[in-house]
Amino acid sequence: MSEKRKYKKRYCKYCEAKVDFMDYKDVGALRFSLSERYKIMPRRLTGNCKRHQDMITAVIKRARAAALVPYTVTRKAVVTAPFENLR
Amino acid sequence: MRNYENLVIVKPTLTAEEIQATIAAIEEVITSNGGEIAATNAMGMRKLAYPINKNERGYYHVIYYTVAPSAISEIERRFRINEELLRFVTIKYDTNREIKAWNDLVTKANKTETVAAKEEVAPAAEEAPAAEEAPVAEEAPVTETTEAAAE
Repeated sequence: MSEKRKYKKRYCKYCEAKVDFMDYKDVGALRFSLSERYKIMPRRLTGNCKRHQDMITAVIKRARAAALVPYTVTRKAVVTAPFENLR
Repeated sequence: MRNYENLVIVKPTLTAEEIQATIAAIEEVITSNGGEIAATNAMGMRKLAYPINKNERGYYHVIYYTVAPSAISEIERRFRINEELLRFVTIKYDTNREIKAWNDLVTKANKTETVAAKEEVAPAAEEAPAAEEAPVAEEAPVTETTEAAAE
């Protein structure tokens, strides 16, 4: 491979930390895979592997059902900082 | 027998005693259906990410228990009847990896419970009246900070 890589090599941060299980109540840990508008970030941007992306999507959807993370953020329903009120 | 976890959100309009009573009723539903409660974790009153039935806040309570899979539908049916619950989330811990995580969560919850039990007695009584006044005062500054963060 003579050609130089034009972009940074992406790697799965969860693989590096050897995450085997994610808890949906630990909202601070979900922050990495959520966008500013609380959408689930795509794999091509975060670099997550397929296995951990599947885990995080399931966990985020659980957290949404439990009202820990908002489904949507619109101008009307501005999110009142759900990550701030964590202890 | 299978491992489960149940998160319930109790209405914030109730008084502290009524909240404890509904939680006791919830635990009674689980035990009466043959469940064994391994640990509980009171996350306390906190702001919801979005309003549920026009409630901005809710009292979170997590229960870890083991029960036969067939009893879950009955437990959920009883939860749906209960009008004090805003929301409940039932999680199944089935695979080996999940069971290991469940055991970790139970030990963690039990450990924090024993520590918190001593401290809880004093602040719990003080928090209840303050919590009712809080939302009006809180909302204005909180929204400001998020807007600043978005920019």
